[in-house]
Amino acid sequence: MKVMMNTGRTVDQGANVENKRSVAYRDETSTCFMHFFDMMELGIDEGENVLVASPYGRVVLTAAADDLIKPGTIFVPYGPYANHIIGGETHSTGMPDFKSTEVTVDATDEPRRTIYELMEELGGLPYDH
Amino acid sequence: MIIKDTVCPFCGCLCDDIEVTVEDGKIVATDNACTLGTSKFLGDHRMKSPIRRVGKEWKEISYDEAIDYTVDMLLDADRPLLYGWSGTHGEAQCVGVHMAELLKGVIDNTSSVCHGPSILAIQEVGHPGCTLGQVKNRADIIIYWGCNPIDAHPRHLSRYTRYANGFFLENSFRDRKVIVVDVRKSQTTNLADEFVQIKPGCDYAVLSALRAIVRGKGDDLPRTVGGVQREQLFRIVDLCKKAKFGAVYFGLGLTMTAGKYKNIRNAIELVDELNRHTKFTISAMRGHYNVYGSNEVNTWMTGYPFGIDFSRGIAFYNPGETTAVDILARKECDACLIVASDPAAHFPRPCIEHLAEIPVVQIDPYANATTAFCDVQIPVGITGIDAAGTAYRMDGVPIRTKKVLETAYPSDEEILGSVYARIQEVRQP
Amino acid sequence: MSEILIKNAYVIDPISGVNGETMDIAIRDGRIVEDVGGGAEVIDARGALTLPGGIDSHTHICGTKVNFGRYMSPEDMRAGRTARHGYMHATSGYSVPTTYGNSYRYSRMGYTTLLEGAMAPLEARHTHEEFLYTPLQDTMANALFDGNWSILEAIRDGDTKRVAAIIGWFLTAVKGFAVKLTNPGGTEAWGWGKDVTCIHNPVPNFEVSPSEIITAVVKANEMLRLPHSVHLHCNNLGKPGNYTCTMGTLGLIPDLNKKRQTLYATHVQFHSYGGSGWSDFCSKSEPVANVVNMRPQIVIDMGQVMFGKTTTMTADGPMEFNLYRLHHDKWSNHDVELETGSGIIPVLYRRKNLVNAVMWAIGLELGLLVKDPWQCIMATDNPNGAPFVRYPEVIALLMSKKYRDEEFATVHPDTESRVPLPAIEREMDWYEIAVMTRAAQAKALGIVDIGKGHLGVGAEADVAIYPVRADEVDPAVDYRKVIEAFGKTEYTIKRGRVVSRRGECLVDGNNTTIWVKPKISEEYNMANDPDFIAKFDRYYTVRMSNYPVQDEYLKRNLCIETEAEL
Ligand SMILES: [Zn+2]
Repeated sequence: MKVMMNTGRTVDQGANVENKRSVAYRDETSTCFMHFFDMMELGIDEGENVLVASPYGRVVLTAAADDLIKPGTIFVPYGPYANHIIGGETHSTGMPDFKSTEVTVDATDEPRRTIYELMEELGGLPYDH
Repeated sequence: MIIKDTVCPFCGCLCDDIEVTVEDGKIVATDNACTLGTSKFLGDHRMKSPIRRVGKEWKEISYDEAIDYTVDMLLDADRPLLYGWSGTHGEAQCVGVHMAELLKGVIDNTSSVCHGPSILAIQEVGHPGCTLGQVKNRADIIIYWGCNPIDAHPRHLSRYTRYANGFFLENSFRDRKVIVVDVRKSQTTNLADEFVQIKPGCDYAVLSALRAIVRGKGDDLPRTVGGVQREQLFRIVDLCKKAKFGAVYFGLGLTMTAGKYKNIRNAIELVDELNRHTKFTISAMRGHYNVYGSNEVNTWMTGYPFGIDFSRGIAFYNPGETTAVDILARKECDACLIVASDPAAHFPRPCIEHLAEIPVVQIDPYANATTAFCDVQIPVGITGIDAAGTAYRMDGVPIRTKKVLETAYPSDEEILGSVYARIQEVRQP
Repeated sequence: MSEILIKNAYVIDPISGVNGETMDIAIRDGRIVEDVGGGAEVIDARGALTLPGGIDSHTHICGTKVNFGRYMSPEDMRAGRTARHGYMHATSGYSVPTTYGNSYRYSRMGYTTLLEGAMAPLEARHTHEEFLYTPLQDTMANALFDGNWSILEAIRDGDTKRVAAIIGWFLTAVKGFAVKLTNPGGTEAWGWGKDVTCIHNPVPNFEVSPSEIITAVVKANEMLRLPHSVHLHCNNLGKPGNYTCTMGTLGLIPDLNKKRQTLYATHVQFHSYGGSGWSDFCSKSEPVANVVNMRPQIVIDMGQVMFGKTTTMTADGPMEFNLYRLHHDKWSNHDVELETGSGIIPVLYRRKNLVNAVMWAIGLELGLLVKDPWQCIMATDNPNGAPFVRYPEVIALLMSKKYRDEEFATVHPDTESRVPLPAIEREMDWYEIAVMTRAAQAKALGIVDIGKGHLGVGAEADVAIYPVRADEVDPAVDYRKVIEAFGKTEYTIKRGRVVSRRGECLVDGNNTTIWVKPKISEEYNMANDPDFIAKFDRYYTVRMSNYPVQDEYLKRNLCIETEAEL
């Protein structure tokens, strides 16, 4: 399914932020908020994984229903997961398209990866001391 | 020991009334600070010593070795990028500019991915603003647009707006109106006297509609604009025009959405228009405690607030070309020095892929996402906790942050100063 | 020990009473001395015009509003770029250069001391930070008091001693040099989008008028025995017909000080306008100059306008908004809580614009009609009237009727009927120019005693050697040579070091910040005043303990302590 991906600081999640606070940064930034209708169309339930892909990469996120999200769009909190599939074009402003990247969303059985795994995929070496 | 009037090095509010309790060389409690500030003051798990990546291993090295590596990396580079700066003090930023100049490198700060578009708008139409105290003492109407201060600037409401009594407002809660404009409900919208919910991406249209009404041309508007009822738009303009002093604060909800700097330009022009009827000001809710300082320092030293390319000897500025995301995504830079920020957590994928391919040194007290892409990381004292230095509040007021802890960590300024001195030996004998 | 001997200097040093003598100047360890040993470095001036280092007693070079002028104007930054070269850092900017740009360009013109004309106390730290990056001139700053709430209240209560005590506290706290009033009362009114119209118009909510503010602060300034007088930017700047307001203001000032003026009125060109609107706008330089001629307690600076692009910036917020409504380019404003305001807009002064041409004429008229050059200082209110790099042209215009006539022929043809300039024959000589560009500044600022503005034994060795034979060139005819000479020194010497040679700056520099500290009795120490402290806590957004500029911001500095009558 083709959708427009919006991202935002986690603090911009409004009402949801309160419920997310106790959850780790990883869980928070790897959530894909979407409208219930879109989830129905994909045939997935809350908490199931989706594969989100753009021309720049692919990443597995966990779906969560949010009726404040317009159908046809998804919201992913600003962080390593969202950035994993955002491009570097800034349209002469220096600011990437954090709030408007065209992506596809599909149901998947693949597991979510950790932030460390994402970094390793990009060539990093996690530091864990 | 209790240290009063400490300056909080978290957000652009730069609250300077924090009481910090220090026992046995550790901060054990804070008073007056918000949760964000408290967690920073009480933060733990600092990196103990400089580290270097050797193959698939991290190895502890000495500060001298780390400085050697940094100097060699920068001297060897054709087009080094010096990025970050919003989480350190002005004195360190000044060294950074000198260093970029001598290296003929590019220096950019985090504003290019936060309020860079706001700066572009200001460069087109100017900026009618004021200090926070002017708002606290006078403003009878506040508009928060595309920002959520309760979460991002928790004391903004209590120190300057909703709950802050001022000289001309003895009962702020009663006498001030707060309007919140956003695409979704948030904790801040719950505190508003008036919540304006607009459709995502429609900020520009709503701002234009408000301008039309202020100019007396509202009759031509459709029934709703950007999901907002015409009646509500008229009501807001009426409130604004009747106010004695209005203040607009805007956040990334306006700078990152479609339209980017054109949104901000429209908002500034609305405020300009309102000044023909009453007093109105507008200001950005700056995020990092000293991101505004990095703009100030860069400006007095180079003429430009961010994104400065010294490759031709002169200071050259062209956002979209000389800004960090573009330089990385185009794989232009061949070395990167990162100071007090975390691009690997905040930059798009192509930028991080390039970081992985080039030598990177990070100067930062903590391990973060960017650490994974470093060849060397140098831990330093935290400005405002174990190092003192100048920071500029979101309204441009400079405040000297305090050193409240004695630690062995060098400051950013000291590390950068050593690196710069060594570069001078080679490039400016 | 470092020694320099300047030989064959054609010296004009008005404070020492030297007018065109060829002589040697000996320098040891940064000071002028009687003589030096045989090992001294010798500079042969070859008869070139040699003056004390230039002093700008009113310029905008460092601080919040100046930096915002840069920040909002990449087009201006692009208009003046130089690459890093030798000891010189890269510079940007034409009308609002970067700090290094200011410092290098002033230095090549022989300037060694600069006064920042308007520093908001709350943001003083910023000004001092930029001073550190203005390495080739000694610096000082006027602190703004035009809308200071504690002061307005003390004036309303008729307590001039308290006014003085508050000024003393702030000046010491912010490491300021002098007391500035910008549109007194008007900047507070601007907090509500309003202004005061003239000196008897009360300030909203505070029940005091500008005339009461001016007279009380002038008295307080003398109680503090400050080196400089009150530095005033009058009300009503830039409005047709404002000359009556200006004359009324100057008429308020008693003669309270034997050593210097009692009031320094700045950029008076902007305050000498006749007419009831823009259509009958005209020069009123004659009546204003006459008032100055009759009142030795007044010193003014010209506030000369030169044609071309520049940026206007002032604490006078309401004025900038009015100007913006005429120019429609872009507008920035920055009100400072409890203290003052500021505004910035870019402007283009055009020869063919009648109003602009009249403004250009008025500045020159003031320079020429004020009889005593010690009472009229050459300045453009940099960058408001023009960037300081235009000073050489202003000097040449003052020295040459021929140049003035040639320029006048190019301006709007109706200008002639609005201004007296074409009828003025006076041509300044080298001595008068030396007065108007350094000696008068030193005297007006009260810094002669610390060795500024002259070359007498014991003075700071700040020297400018200009590549011109003053005894051979007739400036009235060869005005081009004047422009060239004042544009670039052969040598600029700062505190006994050659800092600039033929336009090239040779050292990193190490400036001195000069500030004042009035000694005030415990009874009047505001740090202990419960009412002052309570209001500070309640209304400022910065804690009182964090407000004063810390010593870290002054590297090399000179504190002038005064014995206040308090
Ligand atoms: Zn001025």
